[in-house]
Amino acid sequence: MKLSTLVTASVLALAAAPVVAADKTINIAGFGASSGVVGIFGQNSGAAMAAAVEKINAEGGVTLADGSKAMLATEFYDDRCNAEEGISVLRRIASTDALVAVGPTCSNVAEPLFGILQAKVDDAGDTGLQFPVFTDVAIKGGLAGISEWVFRNTPSEATMYDNLFAWIRETHPDAKTIYGGVEEDFAHSRFTWYSVMKTAAEAHGFEVVGEAQWLLNDTNFSNQARGMRRAEPDVVAISAHPFTTCGMLREMDRQRIEPKVLVGLTSSSSLETLTGCANEAEGIIIPTSFAPVNDEAKAAAAAVEAKGGQLDLHSASAWENIMILKDVIEAAGIEGTAESLEEDRRKIRDGLATLTEAPGLLGANKRMPDGEAVKPYVFVNAESGNWEVLHNPGS
Amino acid sequence: MDYFFFIDLIQSTVDGLLFGTTYALIGIGFTLIFGVMRKLNLAYGAAALAGTYIGLVLFLTFDAHPAIVFLASALGSGAIGLVVYLCCFRFTPTHYPMASLLASVGMLLFIDEVVIHASHGLPYPYPSVFRDAIIEAGDIWIRGDLLFVFFMCVVAMAILFWLLYRTPLGLATRAVSQQPRAAQLCGIDVTRVNMMTFGIAGILGGIAGAMTAAAVGVLSPVIAMGLTVKGLIVVVIGGLGSIPGAIIGGLLVGAAENIFLLLRGVTERDIYVMLLLFIFLTLRPGGLFGSAQTRD
Repeated sequence: MKLSTLVTASVLALAAAPVVAADKTINIAGFGASSGVVGIFGQNSGAAMAAAVEKINAEGGVTLADGSKAMLATEFYDDRCNAEEGISVLRRIASTDALVAVGPTCSNVAEPLFGILQAKVDDAGDTGLQFPVFTDVAIKGGLAGISEWVFRNTPSEATMYDNLFAWIRETHPDAKTIYGGVEEDFAHSRFTWYSVMKTAAEAHGFEVVGEAQWLLNDTNFSNQARGMRRAEPDVVAISAHPFTTCGMLREMDRQRIEPKVLVGLTSSSSLETLTGCANEAEGIIIPTSFAPVNDEAKAAAAAVEAKGGQLDLHSASAWENIMILKDVIEAAGIEGTAESLEEDRRKIRDGLATLTEAPGLLGANKRMPDGEAVKPYVFVNAESGNWEVLHNPGS
Repeated sequence: MDYFFFIDLIQSTVDGLLFGTTYALIGIGFTLIFGVMRKLNLAYGAAALAGTYIGLVLFLTFDAHPAIVFLASALGSGAIGLVVYLCCFRFTPTHYPMASLLASVGMLLFIDEVVIHASHGLPYPYPSVFRDAIIEAGDIWIRGDLLFVFFMCVVAMAILFWLLYRTPLGLATRAVSQQPRAAQLCGIDVTRVNMMTFGIAGILGGIAGAMTAAAVGVLSPVIAMGLTVKGLIVVVIGGLGSIPGAIIGGLLVGAAENIFLLLRGVTERDIYVMLLLFIFLTLRPGGLFGSAQTRD
């Protein structure tokens, strides 16, 4: 009796072994700028991915098609915000056993990089790379349409700024004019001012009374601020990254330019701006798809901080991407073997394509048919050296 | 042309001239080293920036007074200048000039990467003095902090001239610059003079870096490339090896870039500055004050 019990237990244990043992690994590659002057984006994304992977693994990993468990692993590749390096990095990732890549961080990399992917799936005449890319940071609008292998979990700036200017119109009915400041040589900054902020402001009845342009490594803003001072705008919108945002804000302060409302670029709702010029940035309003406003978001922020990063609207997407990919891996029946790699990648692509909704830190993200996302967002403003939620349009 | 255009033109020229003193300092650094060694140190701008970060560390860690921050930036940059000399110039073969040039390019990239890694590429606040002080002359505003930058740079240049023309070290430096072999035969330690030159040029670079960061109020690694490129343009226009040329070149580039910004906008500004460089290289390759003198 004892022997038969032992044999039965051994057989059951052996049968159950593949289910319990997590000896398989699913690799998810991250890539983007983790060095250079915008390296902080990649460093934060890398930390967010590592923290999310650690959380999933601590909870048992992911379930594969055969019911077995696999651990997730992630490695971050640096493209230095350079398009050629980005393309080379993605080709390198595609040659490894990575199932999917999360990245890139820079829109000027994303645009040409998506061009090397197969535009339409199953197009035999298109020899483009067949590898799923799930973008977290590169925010310039509409890029997912370049290839059906591209999916993005970046916020829709058009929606956010449209609602922001509607809200400003409502809360500051006396504000009539707007002056724009734009970092002319950075793709995201240019796009956001000329195609998003300006359009949204005009749509809500603001008169654009002037524009000031400068470059990413400019150090003198007096000419630009002078034009702004003379125009006496009610609203000033600055579409620039933290270094020049800070330079311009200081010059505005020096020239005593005090608009009723100050609006900033989504990417500036980060630690960088507060590190660089918290006093001058006081009161600047920025729409963002991340703020630690609930328990889940707070826990994620703490986990990323423990990995040496910061959770902001960009890196929060990297966290969310890993969580979404876990669900897709489990729903799509990924086998996780070397032989099934190509097929698994296709399953990931198809799984992402069929999503209509995905979990996010601020609530459910809508997944659009063109691969883009519509994410919940809040308006934050800089207050005493911190980003505080000023208004939650979803509440 | 309306009233505001003239005001803007004067204002742009004044701002440009004041800010141009930082370019002049960088240009002097390039020209000092070239004058003494007949070699270009392309790591100079990056070393100046790295030195500025040393001052910043004191500011962020100990909330040090701006005077101490500026001093630490200048001395730090001087120390890094010495390291650059030892790594890129002291032991590289003299008969192969490309060796030191390429070594300095490597050092430029190395220092840049170290600074970016250490700072994570983040912009940090850098102390300014007289930030809110403005002298108003009608519609023309003169920034107190830029006046301070101008004053500091003028003082640095004055000290440099005193060093070069009123001290034994300056005499030795000028001797090595004109006839290194003869200077050596006279008992001058050429290696020591070279080291001192790198140290002094580094200090000037550190002052330029500190003043640039003080004028912006923020320090970021993106400043390094600007310092290098502007410094090179200044020495070409002023004349490589000429200190008065570097001063005039710096002021000229500062004013020209602000005027081009006013007239043609930011997207064309650098095109015209580069065109100016091209015109000088073609029509007057020796620059404004370039000397035709040769040496052994």
